[in-house]
Amino acid sequence: MSITELNISPVGRVEGDLDVKVYIDNGKVTRAHTQAAMFRGFEKIMEGKDPQSGLIVTPRICGICGGSHLYCASSALDTAWGTKLTPNALLLRAIGQASETLQSIPRWFYAIFATDLANKKYADKPLYKEVVKRWSAYVGETFQVGLTASGLPVQIYALFGGQWPHSSYMVPGGVMCAPTLKDITRAHAILTQFKNDWLEPVWLGCSIERYMEIKTWDDMLDWVDENESQKNSDLGLLIRAGIEFGLDKFGQGVGKFLATGTYLHKDMYNNPTIEGRNAALISSSGFFDGENYHEFDHMKISEHVKHSWYKDQEDGLHPWDEPLPTPTKSQTLHDSNFDEKYSWSKAPRYDGHAAEAGPLARVIMNANPANKDHQIQDPLFGDIMKKLGPSVFTRVLARVHEAPRIYKFIEQWLSEIDLDGEFYIKPVEKDGKGFGATEAARGALAHWIEIKDGVIKNYQVMAPTTWNVGPQDGDDNPGPIETALLGTSIEDPSDPVEVGIVARSFDSCLVCTVHAHDAESGVELSRFKL
Amino acid sequence: MANVLWLQGGACSGNTMSFLNAEEPTVVELITDFGLNILWHPTTGLQIGDQVQDLLKDIISGKVQMDILVYEGSIIQGPDNTGTMNFFADRPMMDWVKDLSKVAGYVVAIGDCATWGGINAVAPNPSESTGLQFLKKNKGGFLGADYVSKGGLPVINIPGCPAHPDWITQILVAISVGRIGDVLIDDYHRPKTFFTNFVQDGCTNVTNFAQKVDGGFGRRGGCLFYEVGCRGPMTRASCNNILWNRQSSKTRSNHPCLGCTEPGFPHHDLKKGSVFNTMKYLGTFPKEVPEGRTKLAYYMEAGFQKVMPTNKPITETSK
Repeated sequence: MSITELNISPVGRVEGDLDVKVYIDNGKVTRAHTQAAMFRGFEKIMEGKDPQSGLIVTPRICGICGGSHLYCASSALDTAWGTKLTPNALLLRAIGQASETLQSIPRWFYAIFATDLANKKYADKPLYKEVVKRWSAYVGETFQVGLTASGLPVQIYALFGGQWPHSSYMVPGGVMCAPTLKDITRAHAILTQFKNDWLEPVWLGCSIERYMEIKTWDDMLDWVDENESQKNSDLGLLIRAGIEFGLDKFGQGVGKFLATGTYLHKDMYNNPTIEGRNAALISSSGFFDGENYHEFDHMKISEHVKHSWYKDQEDGLHPWDEPLPTPTKSQTLHDSNFDEKYSWSKAPRYDGHAAEAGPLARVIMNANPANKDHQIQDPLFGDIMKKLGPSVFTRVLARVHEAPRIYKFIEQWLSEIDLDGEFYIKPVEKDGKGFGATEAARGALAHWIEIKDGVIKNYQVMAPTTWNVGPQDGDDNPGPIETALLGTSIEDPSDPVEVGIVARSFDSCLVCTVHAHDAESGVELSRFKL
Repeated sequence: MANVLWLQGGACSGNTMSFLNAEEPTVVELITDFGLNILWHPTTGLQIGDQVQDLLKDIISGKVQMDILVYEGSIIQGPDNTGTMNFFADRPMMDWVKDLSKVAGYVVAIGDCATWGGINAVAPNPSESTGLQFLKKNKGGFLGADYVSKGGLPVINIPGCPAHPDWITQILVAISVGRIGDVLIDDYHRPKTFFTNFVQDGCTNVTNFAQKVDGGFGRRGGCLFYEVGCRGPMTRASCNNILWNRQSSKTRSNHPCLGCTEPGFPHHDLKKGSVFNTMKYLGTFPKEVPEGRTKLAYYMEAGFQKVMPTNKPITETSK
């Protein structure tokens, strides 16, 4: 059988414009290229501007992770200016980051991911009917509950930041807000509503505490079978359907993982420094090479542009040493020469390796036996990686696994805010270099800044999407999604849903899908071309 | 009943995210109860690849009716007016928009990038971004000053970074139920119903503003106009009347208004000293004064208030 080429432009339901070209031989993908198809030049825009420009500009890089960009931008200035951060400031930043991530979990699951499981490809599977009944867009039984509940966590963000998305309430030296008791009380109430509306009854079918007892993959399977309520919860169904539909059989990826870590402890990062960051993290950072854990060191990060539409630079430069990108001529997916430049994304590498960023990377770091007392210690995904290995299924499970833990964190942090304490200590502006990072919902996010003569000289942003959808590097090694697509079976080239599923399992953008089958009558509410 | 096509050019999805937070009606109700049929949305549509390209061609040929074209993000024209920095479905996005604008019942620009270029268009504007019918304060933009859609209106601008979900849903509903004739637009094509009053209307620190009691970051109470560059008195938007995410607003959470519903955001193009800082003459007189007043009148009034010994900050305590 001859090799066929399949151009998919746009892939859709991924943040930004992603196009994918795959080569198919005997129904399986043998080569894949991801193409990021849009350039705005945010880093260039910030050159020569006010040092605090990143607080306003970078959240607008991505409307889904805006709060995470803010966390990075304020942290980068903290290290550059040597600010002082009060416990309150660190708590309120962590609450903002956590609420944004918590929002994204149901939104991503129902709006972006689960709708693919309602694709006709799976029509012959026993659980298909139940999946369609629950997760069809707009008319699915739990779709609406989940989507409505997803707006609640960001109400908490708005209490402290004014609005979500696109607040700039985290500033070098702390936060802008000075909440009162009524704000804290209201935040608690909103959080409780999220739990009562969706998290416990719909998603888990049990209490948060019961779910958090799960330590191994066998525990997880026992949990599913423990009672009808858990088995029939949305998570129970996801586990059963995921395995039945074979989601554990494809989309492995590069098998190496990077997390920059997040949630700086309120008492351990009061004098922010780049060196002191790893130890102060609650959700730990690190690099996992498939066998061993390595301590995260931002100096081991480099970027390649051999296959990116930017003027050539030395391969493998650290962000501080990189020139601001100069765009070169781009082509459509159809006309691209994949031996040359073919994407607006650069290719980041850690210690020379392509690495996957995202919730899976995060929970793998949470299973690191070296984690300290104040850090998350959760062995579950260490075990799942051994028993199942990486796959679409493992990646999806990792993403939703964090919801109960994040819930408990926000609850705890709200109660630790000292209403009589300080929220902001005005810093002194100066020239220098800074580094700030966090874990956005979709994974490792970092900013590097250099300030000279009182203005921004260099600003480099590395987003989780860059790690995941990046093209080949200087040695032509493919990026994580390009690798994850290899070996994927494409059943129907006119509806390459499998490519979408792999791409979306990397935590793509989360928005509600406007396609619908009425579960009762099978009537399509909107035009869906087959 | 209205068929909606939603496209994103130089966008961050912030307006889509904001739209998802809509209440009364929710996005789900828009579809199920208000007759909006979303033909495709870049981050939601099930169709991918060629299926999307076929849909776009069917709309342009008139086979599929498109009552509303919603556009989020800037029109990317770079490099050198080719639009190739933003390919979409195998063509420069700007070429699709040109074709689609000819068959659209109404065109709605959502968010600052789509209305006047937004952050993307800040100098040096590496992507040669523009809004649909404006570039900053200048009418014209991508479609030209004279553009009107088949429904007889120019581009309807819903600015904001992001736009508030109510601003989006209410305009979509107005078109869908045939009441767009009841929506008046101002010189910047903004629906007057949302963009006549100022952000300051409804600000909880309005008394502190009047009495010139200054606030600052991490403190309760006090006005942010004089020290940290709040643009509430010169920005038209209903933020403090309808609130965000049902809870708050920038100024209510002690965050200076950034003026994001006015053309020209980010103001002063982020030049040194313009971020979270009030620009002043001689370190004393604000360069920009509240809308509707002359500088002299404002300086006299403010100066008088400043020296009044009776002014006491109105501050909420922590508990």
